[in-house]
Amino acid sequence: MAELRDRALGVIVCAADASALDRLVPAGHGARMLRVAPDEIMAVVDAAFTQDVRRELADRVAALDGDALVLDVSDGWAAIAITGEDADRTFSYLSALDPPEDDGFAQGDVARVAAKVLRVPGGLAILVPAYWREHVRARAVDDAGTTEARG
Amino acid sequence: MSMLVTCPTCGRRPFTEFSFGGELRDIASPDAATDFARVYLRDNAAGPQQERWFHLLGCRRWVTLTRDTGSNRVEA
Amino acid sequence: MPSLRLDGRRIDVRDGDTIAAAAYRAGIRTFSRSLKAHRRRGLYCGTGDCANCLVTVDGLPGERACVTPARDGMKVDRETGWPSTDRDLLAINDRLHRLMPVGFYYKVFARPRWLWPIAERVIRRATGTGTLPLKAPARRMATRFVRVRTLVIGGGVAGLAAAATAAADGSVLVAEERELGARITDPAARETIARLAAEARAAGAEVLEGHTAIGIYEGPATAVLGRDELVEVEAERVIVATGAVEAHGVFPGNDLPGVWLGRGAAVMAAIHGVPIGDRVVIVANTDEGQHLADAIRAGGSDVALVAGRVLEARGSREVSSVSVLTPEGRRAFACDALVLSLGWAPRDTLLRMTAEPEVVGAGDVTSPGRSLADAEASGRAAGRGDPVEPADAGPWPVAEQDGYVCVCEDVSMHDLEHAWSEGWTSSEILKRYTTATMGPCQGALCSRHLAEHARAKGAAPAARGRTTARPPVRAPRLGDLTGAVHEQVERRTALHERHVAAGARIDHSGVWLRPGTYGDVDGEIRAVRERVSVMDVSTLGKFLVAGREARMLLDRVFPLDVGSIAPGRARYLLALDEAGYVMDDGLLAALGDDTFYLTSTSGGADRMEAWLRNWTDRLELHAHVLNQTAQLGAINVAGPHARDLLATLSEDDLSRAAIPYPGHAEITVAGVPCRAIAVGFVGELSYELHHPRGRSIELWDALLDAGAAWDIRPHGLDALDVLRLEKSHVYLAQDTMPDDHPAKLGLDWAVATHKDEFVGKRALERMNALPLERRLVGLRFDGPPQRGYPLAADGVIVGRITSCTVSSAAGGPVGLGWLRAIDGTFPSVLRAGDVTATVSPTPFYDPEGVRLRG
Repeated sequence: MAELRDRALGVIVCAADASALDRLVPAGHGARMLRVAPDEIMAVVDAAFTQDVRRELADRVAALDGDALVLDVSDGWAAIAITGEDADRTFSYLSALDPPEDDGFAQGDVARVAAKVLRVPGGLAILVPAYWREHVRARAVDDAGTTEARG
Repeated sequence: MSMLVTCPTCGRRPFTEFSFGGELRDIASPDAATDFARVYLRDNAAGPQQERWFHLLGCRRWVTLTRDTGSNRVEA
Repeated sequence: MPSLRLDGRRIDVRDGDTIAAAAYRAGIRTFSRSLKAHRRRGLYCGTGDCANCLVTVDGLPGERACVTPARDGMKVDRETGWPSTDRDLLAINDRLHRLMPVGFYYKVFARPRWLWPIAERVIRRATGTGTLPLKAPARRMATRFVRVRTLVIGGGVAGLAAAATAAADGSVLVAEERELGARITDPAARETIARLAAEARAAGAEVLEGHTAIGIYEGPATAVLGRDELVEVEAERVIVATGAVEAHGVFPGNDLPGVWLGRGAAVMAAIHGVPIGDRVVIVANTDEGQHLADAIRAGGSDVALVAGRVLEARGSREVSSVSVLTPEGRRAFACDALVLSLGWAPRDTLLRMTAEPEVVGAGDVTSPGRSLADAEASGRAAGRGDPVEPADAGPWPVAEQDGYVCVCEDVSMHDLEHAWSEGWTSSEILKRYTTATMGPCQGALCSRHLAEHARAKGAAPAARGRTTARPPVRAPRLGDLTGAVHEQVERRTALHERHVAAGARIDHSGVWLRPGTYGDVDGEIRAVRERVSVMDVSTLGKFLVAGREARMLLDRVFPLDVGSIAPGRARYLLALDEAGYVMDDGLLAALGDDTFYLTSTSGGADRMEAWLRNWTDRLELHAHVLNQTAQLGAINVAGPHARDLLATLSEDDLSRAAIPYPGHAEITVAGVPCRAIAVGFVGELSYELHHPRGRSIELWDALLDAGAAWDIRPHGLDALDVLRLEKSHVYLAQDTMPDDHPAKLGLDWAVATHKDEFVGKRALERMNALPLERRLVGLRFDGPPQRGYPLAADGVIVGRITSCTVSSAAGGPVGLGWLRAIDGTFPSVLRAGDVTATVSPTPFYDPEGVRLRG
């Protein structure tokens, strides 16, 4: 039985020219660099490192594209993790997306809303705009049969 | 149930992830007469048609693609 | 001994029994009554293809007794016949059949007009299959998504062979309606299936038993229905290996209980061990005759096997004799069961409903009646992706005499002839007029007969095809399909729990959950007008637009003069589409030379994002668009004491000099960094505080706490509606129509017509050159008005009230409505029922705008 838990993640958006983003060196602290569009990278990292990663990326991106925008948008995203042995099968009750491989991500329809999906230790993390948080949690419990994780 | 649209960033996806933007048309007209046709009239072709689609549930970017209005097949 | 109850009668259940097997063993021969004529119907196909044995199981109607496993304690009820299936008074319909040719009810009960609704109710009572269990609790159906390289539908020899072979090429899912081998009586076939199943599983194929594919849609996407789940399968290839059922024979007496299709009879005798009769006649024109004879003999029956054409079956409650035209001549047999193997009807509905080349057939569904080795080879070829073999269903036993063609709907050859002679001369029209193929079996047995009939009548090629195959193949319950579908996908602000705790009535406002009122709308309005109040407006669309060409983008897209907005200032924003119609409105604040903050209506956020991104793309401009709707909360602090309240929570300069109207400034309130935007929607001094969503609760609590000094209370949507109406501010889509250009709304002041180019400019020029034919106006009433009520001038309807309220601040009943011009002028006095409406200048309250400029 898969479990559901909230994850505290920092999200930094880098909006810049595609050629600049192609050359952008990933940030440290285990940040996952999601190329969500040709002109946008979302860096996702443990909440504790949000400001470090933001500073790092702001410097690097400015060097590649003076017109770029690098912002901490963590407040705008809710991260919900589905963990357990059958996390992938549980996910299949919420979405037709193929769960991503280790370092990759998928973006598309999850529980009928726009989401990004990452593989994290123990399972899958689903990122949605913060106003969808309760909706996705309710669908994960009602439709996919997850249980609230304790602790 | 699952007409598939190809998004260059996200791959082949069900059309339900998208918002349809209509036939591709010019963004401006040289004069008033052509502007009327540009704004109000459509070719509505039976066959391949260039269209604008917005990937609302995915990358949230626009794509121009060709769909055959007869078979509903979208060119990759 | 395990048992079930059938219509209250206790019946033993043995291991492996289906409901039909247990019932038949106990002597039940009539399983249902036919739709119109209420004729007795018994087990016929035995394989789940026809609709003779539909029963209600534990309250759920429409279950096929011949494929549903019997369980101890089951409660089974037959569904048709009144007062009972065995003694049905409505069987009188059968005698009156001559008086009731197909379609008669349309003609007989059409006049007088009042007769039809009564007749319809009576006819409905007298027909139908089962009663809806209105009190049964809803079953929870899960929906699951699966993506595989190959989907195989059907777990027979060809299907499993296809799966085993295709597994080398990628993931494989097999959907089998029952359990593997459930309807296989031939020992050699059972062995083959066991071997192939092991091979397929070892190769990694997943087999889902008890799952029926009910439809193939564009993609190809296949809906597969199990007992507790609906699986949506996306596959690159679909191999349909659903096999074939014996062809339905049409002759007098063909629907008598005791007439069987071959394989179903064999299953009853050989698998369930129930003899189907003492003296059985098998008429077989296929290769399976000998096998059927062996299987049925093994059940203990006396069997005669002949080949030929069945001329007639006779009997009253059950078949008692049959007459066959054999190669040796006409022969008659006494029998208590007649088994038919006259030809093959491939179960090809799924194949015929899709034109996708990725969907192919294998095995009996393309060429029925072949050997095991051929079926396996056909499956393997499909699994490899070999070119598709041409379909060959073999000879069809064309109906040459009268008999029931569509057993489900009681349509006989006579009915088809009659309808044809009336002018319904194509298979599609014949179907619609006679309802043939429209019963629960959906033409599984009779659709080819319908086409053959049209062909025999000389119909043109286009008029004699098989009728269109559409999903679903088996009738699912509505609940089966709704699985994970929910009414609304709901968005919540960060303050949602605060509103709930404060006792708010939470409304659905588009996709958002928002407080309508906290219990006292008038009190909330007074708080705004007289003291201070707060409102959660976090639902607003919010965008950061930045970059070296951000100003160019906004200037080109919107009709306002972006260059003239100095940093620190904001301006009312109209969004027009290319036809010059108002799409949305909001605010545009200049944060710097190339950085702007834009708000839109709550419902228009996604559309605004798409709009901005489209123009950035098409104009190829360097501008970043960041949708901050989720990231930022917004709280509107409104009322004459708004500034006083903020002053207790902020050290920043809040004077008009620092925050102009309309304008904005970055301030800190209760330690929370905010962009304070001076707005005027409710007509009092107001500051919309845009802040990080994560700190909404903190900010809200601080404002309510400090606001206690002014007896603060929050206001909701109901109050907002009145407040904005007193200022005659429009609600898009309530006061506006999709084709309103700014002049119609009195908003042309928001359009900078001197600009060279903006979206919709030319269209506006075109429309402004024409006389205005419709306007939105302010109205004052002399009595209570009603929203939506028509407005009339001299008895002619010239408009409609779009919003209204009774307001003391506005000096009485006021509202907005649209009017059309009569002969070039707009009337100024109108009637709305008993109430007089006078066109009035707007706004109704504080027309000079003194209060909001504070």
